[in-house]
Amino acid sequence: MTLVKFLTRRVLHAIPMIFGLVTLVFFLSRLLPGDPASLYVVPGIPPRVAEQLRSQFGLDHSLWDQYLAWLSSTLRGELGYSFAHGAPVRDVLLHVFPNTLLLGGTALVLECLLAVVLAALAVRSVGSWFDRALSRMTLVVYSLPSFWVGILFLSIFSFSFRVLPSSQMHSAGGEQLGLAASFGDLLKHLALPALTVATPGIAALAAYLRTSMTETMRQDYVVAAVGMGLSRGRVFRSYILPNSVGPVISVLGVEAGVLLTGVLVSETLFAWPGMGRLAVMAIFSRDYPVILGCTLSGGVLIVGANILADFLRAWIDPRIRLT
Amino acid sequence: MFSSSRLTKVLSMRPGVWFVLRFVLLIPLSGCGKKAEDGSGALHRPAVVIAIPGDVDSFNPLFAEDITAGEINDLLFPALVSSGFDANAGTLTYGPLLARSWEFADQDRDIVFHLQRGERWTDGAPVTARDVQLTYELYGDPDVASVRQAAVENLRRTGGKLVIKESVEVRDDSTVVFHFARAYPGQLFDTGLPILPAHVLEKLPRKDIRTDPVNRSPVGSGPFALAKWTPLQEIVLQSNPESRAPYPAKLSQLILRIIPDYRTRLSQLESGEVDLVSGVRPEDAVKLAGEARDVEIISTPGRDYDFLGWNNIEIDPPGGSTPTTIRPHRLFGSRNVRRALTMAINRDELVHAYLGKHGQEAFGGISPLFKWAYNDSLKPLPFDPQGSRELLEREGWKDTGGDGILVRNNVRFSFVLKLPAGDQLRTVVAAAVQQQLRQVKIEMKIEQVERATFWQEVATRKYDAWLAGFSVPLQMQLDDLWGSDLAKHPFNLTGFRNARIDRILAAARTLKAETDGAALWREFQEIVHEEQPCTFLYWINSIVAVNRRVQGTRIGVLGTMHNAWEWDVGGAGRDGVSTSR
Repeated sequence: MTLVKFLTRRVLHAIPMIFGLVTLVFFLSRLLPGDPASLYVVPGIPPRVAEQLRSQFGLDHSLWDQYLAWLSSTLRGELGYSFAHGAPVRDVLLHVFPNTLLLGGTALVLECLLAVVLAALAVRSVGSWFDRALSRMTLVVYSLPSFWVGILFLSIFSFSFRVLPSSQMHSAGGEQLGLAASFGDLLKHLALPALTVATPGIAALAAYLRTSMTETMRQDYVVAAVGMGLSRGRVFRSYILPNSVGPVISVLGVEAGVLLTGVLVSETLFAWPGMGRLAVMAIFSRDYPVILGCTLSGGVLIVGANILADFLRAWIDPRIRLT
Repeated sequence: MFSSSRLTKVLSMRPGVWFVLRFVLLIPLSGCGKKAEDGSGALHRPAVVIAIPGDVDSFNPLFAEDITAGEINDLLFPALVSSGFDANAGTLTYGPLLARSWEFADQDRDIVFHLQRGERWTDGAPVTARDVQLTYELYGDPDVASVRQAAVENLRRTGGKLVIKESVEVRDDSTVVFHFARAYPGQLFDTGLPILPAHVLEKLPRKDIRTDPVNRSPVGSGPFALAKWTPLQEIVLQSNPESRAPYPAKLSQLILRIIPDYRTRLSQLESGEVDLVSGVRPEDAVKLAGEARDVEIISTPGRDYDFLGWNNIEIDPPGGSTPTTIRPHRLFGSRNVRRALTMAINRDELVHAYLGKHGQEAFGGISPLFKWAYNDSLKPLPFDPQGSRELLEREGWKDTGGDGILVRNNVRFSFVLKLPAGDQLRTVVAAAVQQQLRQVKIEMKIEQVERATFWQEVATRKYDAWLAGFSVPLQMQLDDLWGSDLAKHPFNLTGFRNARIDRILAAARTLKAETDGAALWREFQEIVHEEQPCTFLYWINSIVAVNRRVQGTRIGVLGTMHNAWEWDVGGAGRDGVSTSR
């Protein structure tokens, strides 16, 4: 199957799935008690204001009409109108989506790099203390809740040793810094949230890679390469690693969902201005269109990551057909 | 052969890839460490930085509901008059702001305001009386759905209809007259709303103002202008050099950093990353006062109180907005039972254990701040478990079930106390109350409810009992909380109805001077104290921690930033530099 056919087929499969997801979330979110207008029912504000707001927000229409209005707005690319932000959800998401991508992308890169390094160190001498420790620790680390990991990092690096900032994307007055200093400032702020998101994934991927590499090392062509006198580094880079990453890339597709959950926790904990934090705020303020916008974006990200993982796996290993 | 795979080629062609990976991995952390060690990461900070828990909901005072947004908007859009608080008298005072002077006319029913000359909006247009008129048109227009609609309710009506163009009269460009239906204590308070630019807003359809982009790039005339807003990150206000209401801010910038986590806000205050944090918990105030020498703790006797709400009534249909039948609540319908509950709870101990000097026992619904109205001859009901048991027994509640819980007419004295989730103080207080009520054989279960759900359900009277807090307004207007007409006053959450209280509330509205109602409010407290519709627990101080380098603050009853144009930075001044990590 050609690449175009593969992508078309997967995207066509994904559309009803994502459509079903947002439809489900649309109706489930309405089961939450209260609505955005009820947040204005407080002493000092006349009760009629809530009714006026329900009318302005279109919440006085039937649920079905509201659903159709949201669909129509989504097809126009606006994704509805945020009650809390007073702007199209598209604009609200565009403010934060790049930040989430930056955090998620950095975490993914960290996951892959550190997992490769750890797995490589483990298989360097299979059965060594490091190998045994890695095998035992991976399950423990993978099971750690992200918020706990985040609090631990905060406690050590921000509150105790004060070497890394505890929140936000840049320092106060950061806009006055030069390009290089500004980039350094961003990296400092990115370090802890990205590590928090990446930590469980590092453990999982390292375990997968270690198993995969151990199997690859037993293959005849690796033994032959060693026998031909190739250096250990060359054998690792040219034979072991490329032939071990295939199964791991499939796992990475699934890991995208876990990663997104971690991003949500990390953004809230480190005040990282991304989609996860936006979604949490939207749930508390009953900002239904933003909840749906975040669901849609998250769904597209996860499905996209899975398609990309399948594609990469086939690209790396030509024996796998795109089906 | 697998070595033909594409990744192999990529890796094989780049033997230095490991070096690159090592570089990428180590750069961020090594860079950070170095900065932290040698302080080379110093950022230029020409401003005061305030940590706030959440983003603002709108830069338009028509719609802004949250407190921080309100304070920011007050700095961008000055009102006709500025407010002050005379702590000795416990009353509001007023001074010139956008209006340079004013006088009362027509038997005090009218106020004639004379605007500052030469005041301009940030886009260069002059501020005129038409701006004032349109502002009040917008506040009162149901199509706009402003949260501040109540401010126009007392303006004079024409033929029974509110026509703002007539009740807020433009006499000339710099003179505007407010015609009220009658003279009443809150006239100046009601003219104290932020004034908006007519030339920007009058061309917009009223229903669309809420969603117009102008709300995100406001045109103001105040001492600060919005320089930058990065959603979920920070709000940067800069001094507006053209402002005459009252004058350009002394600080060049006021930066509000959005930091949702309370602990992080405190940590950044201690490290000097931020200069001011509001809402400090009493236990942290004690710690900061002892450990952080650069930080000053400002504890203001507050307008906020916590109370245990007892639902006084049961209504049919349950939760209905127009009840057809109202009967006393099976548990809390009796005054004596409510008094017994209060007497079973050691409120003084709660204050000492959890608030220390940052709180005060509450008993009457009027803050001690309002000295002219506060009835200091009353004393809280004593903590008296034995007296409580006797009162309950007199009401027919006896331990006849054999399980250690009081029973009357086959109804056990058992209920669920609801409270908003995530509130540390209320959680521990609820647990203490649970223990104390158990001593008088009352079973109380505790259930935490998500905040928005909590308020939705408590306002529709779905709970028997709850632990929550209220903030009393600066104007002595308590109809919302205590009026007997439950459809009109949904925040009379306990459903307490008292004819004399209604008469007091009505009489207070007709006075010319607020302080003329002192005797009425003292009587109000006596009734509330006698009837115990709820158990008042404590008044909580508003605690703000501020770096001592920030000078000129007047943090108090009116809020944190209400005079931010007077703030300055000691020592380093506007161009101060601070180290950021």
